Amino acid sequence: MLDALLVLFQVDNLLFLLCGTALGIVVGAIPGLTASMLIALTLPLTFHMDPVNAVTLLIGEYVGGISGGLITAILLRMPGTPSSIVTTFDGYPMAQQGKAERALALGIMASVVGGLVSWAFLAGMSPTLAHVALQFGPWEYFALVLMALFMLAALASGSLVKALLGAALGMAFALPGIDSSVGRDRLTFGFDSLLSGFGLLPVLIGAFAISQILREAAAPAKATGPFRLPDRHLPVHVSDIRRHGPNMMRSSVIGTWIGLLPGIGGNVAALISYSIARQFSRNPERFGKGEEAGVVAGETANNAAIGGALIPLITMGIPGSVTEAILIGALTIHNLQPGPLLFQNSPEIAYGIIAAYLVANILMLILMWSTVRYIAAIAQIPRAGLLGVILVFCVVGSFAVNNSFFDVWVMIAFGVIGLCLELAKVPLGPFVIGFVLAPIAEEQLRASMMMSDGDVTAVLQRPFALVFLVIAFAALLWPAVSAHLAKRVRRTAE
Amino acid sequence: MARDFRRAIVRTVSAAGIALAALTTTCLPQLMSQAQAEGFPEKPIRVIVPFKPGGRTDVVARLIADKIQEKGWLEQPMVIVNADGGAGANAIAQLQRGEPDGYTIMHWSHEILMSIAMNLGNFKLEDFRSIGLTGGGSPLWAVRKDAPYKSLEEVVTALKEKPRSLVEAVGIGSIPHFIGAMLAQEAGFETRYVTANSNADRLRLLLGNNADIALFAASEYVTQGKDLNAIVYFGRERSPALPDVPTATELGYNVVWANPNWWLAPAGTPDEAVQKIAGALEKAINDPEIIEYFKQNTLDPYWTDGETAMTEAQETLGSLRTVAERIQ
Repeated sequence: MLDALLVLFQVDNLLFLLCGTALGIVVGAIPGLTASMLIALTLPLTFHMDPVNAVTLLIGEYVGGISGGLITAILLRMPGTPSSIVTTFDGYPMAQQGKAERALALGIMASVVGGLVSWAFLAGMSPTLAHVALQFGPWEYFALVLMALFMLAALASGSLVKALLGAALGMAFALPGIDSSVGRDRLTFGFDSLLSGFGLLPVLIGAFAISQILREAAAPAKATGPFRLPDRHLPVHVSDIRRHGPNMMRSSVIGTWIGLLPGIGGNVAALISYSIARQFSRNPERFGKGEEAGVVAGETANNAAIGGALIPLITMGIPGSVTEAILIGALTIHNLQPGPLLFQNSPEIAYGIIAAYLVANILMLILMWSTVRYIAAIAQIPRAGLLGVILVFCVVGSFAVNNSFFDVWVMIAFGVIGLCLELAKVPLGPFVIGFVLAPIAEEQLRASMMMSDGDVTAVLQRPFALVFLVIAFAALLWPAVSAHLAKRVRRTAE
Repeated sequence: MARDFRRAIVRTVSAAGIALAALTTTCLPQLMSQAQAEGFPEKPIRVIVPFKPGGRTDVVARLIADKIQEKGWLEQPMVIVNADGGAGANAIAQLQRGEPDGYTIMHWSHEILMSIAMNLGNFKLEDFRSIGLTGGGSPLWAVRKDAPYKSLEEVVTALKEKPRSLVEAVGIGSIPHFIGAMLAQEAGFETRYVTANSNADRLRLLLGNNADIALFAASEYVTQGKDLNAIVYFGRERSPALPDVPTATELGYNVVWANPNWWLAPAGTPDEAVQKIAGALEKAINDPEIIEYFKQNTLDPYWTDGETAMTEAQETLGSLRTVAERIQ
């Protein structure tokens, strides 16, 4: 391990890591361009590089890419990457209340804490964790996602009917594509491009970035006054550690754990830890209106999810998401197969990945912390110019996912849909949750039923799944129960 | 100050522009005439891979394209374009967008037959012209090492005693599903399924005791199969990397699956272009470095010409269609 760290401090490796992280932050901050896109783009370059150099570059890009997403999420309400959707819920309201720098500083702090905690898990107990994560089968995935869905059910402030409408719409748009339980096309209306469904990136970019651009085009945001740099003094104190510490630790653990489960990544981690932070909060009604804990929960969890996802990658060669699948590709081209044999056959790579992840987090902190004042000034650039540039990146990014123009149309369509929802006061949060989480729940439930030959009671033999289901229903019933209890307490007091 | 600066920029940009224009006007005709003299290819050839970067189809395409460029077997480079999405529909749409002139080709595998057999997407074999196969690989069935059954015979016996007692991790309508169904038909057993959309899913479900049987590429088994036990190999012959794993044919079941690296062009691509590309591909697959990579990754390096490849594909598609009818 120490050797690996020392190797990392060779000039070339450090330089690649620095480049990767810086590039990642920039790309991550641009709506439409994501970490996985950057990694896919640089992958061919790494074929001719030394394997350790290649790995450090890619890990840097990964960490930077996920971290950079918070910038535009907070300042412009456009998630730079799908992992930062949650950050828009509270980060943007904070920015509107004039607390943009504080939101940024908290987000950066949370990202680093999430990264470091999950690094500790990665370095310390990879094999154990990987082993436990393997016990998670379809039932556990389903119960976990159902728990998150129920906890988020009351996410939207305001009309419950409209929140449910948003969620139902999100779920409806997740339906087209190949139904993985029967292998046939479903609701594609003869469009072959719909065989893989509406892409996550075009939908999210459309619903958040494009709809925001359209809204501001219709009603330009007020001039923000002359260009000025914020105070040198950053608005975070030691007391914040006490205030947000427990939340950060909890969100780190949740993020690492969700990252550990292959197939669900940073965006789900952020959604789940956000919902749990809200459940634990003393003032859940403030979530969605600029609650600091919301920013902290999401940004901690999405960074922690990277460390989590690296665990099955290194120990078993199982990629947690598209990004890890590309990382595996980068290794195979050098004839290195991640898996149980990696530590024996090429320890310099296995430990190199672990060490690179640690250093990338530290570099990310330095880079973002030292530039946060300038970053915050982005919000003061005239919107007309800024939004035009962002629109270009959104189009390029949506196109680049699959080199397909269909995705660009999808993005534009969801921009209009997002705008209509907003005008009808249907919240976007439940819409996104329905779109992201419902398909996982559906697929896993149907896989479970297939596995048990249609026997629902099979869930009784799955302790983890049962626990999640109990929590899920407790969360659903708690508001009613607590109201009832409060009434009884009052009555006995009288 | 600002004006000076702006003027300086304008001057630099226009100077660069003039230089560029001069360069293109003088050099371009020369380059063009040179290219025309040599015939196809006059410009880079786009190779569409229907996946995101990093998988076997992508890596093999890139290795071969790099080798061809390094050795100068084609006058122009081959550029890999990744077009994931729509179960291959996106890639095929891109392949068919332009003229069938040989400048846009595709690298895929027999997965394309799977899509045709399942009626996914609006294409058929006649839409393609086969350039050739650059080798391929076969998968195997594995169980957990600590499972009570150690061989395919024991699995079959267990399943015949208690039908549907074992869970097979498959992507419904994908290669693992079809191969499993072919073997089940041959041996006369039935399993239960659990959905697994990737190799990673299958490995995770099998190791975590959520499935009992799963299919893996031989290369995946070699690197990730520490706690697994391969019980049958679906190649024509035993794999040199796995000399102890019997083939299905040896065990008396007529199930063979050798998934090739298939190079395709749109129907109507001229002979000259197809032959030129095929010639370069054949040289590449016989290159010692490529052979070495294939062997290390338990792939078989061989060359099959376009027409033979198409005939094989038609036969395979026929048998896949009968399986598809049965399992749907």
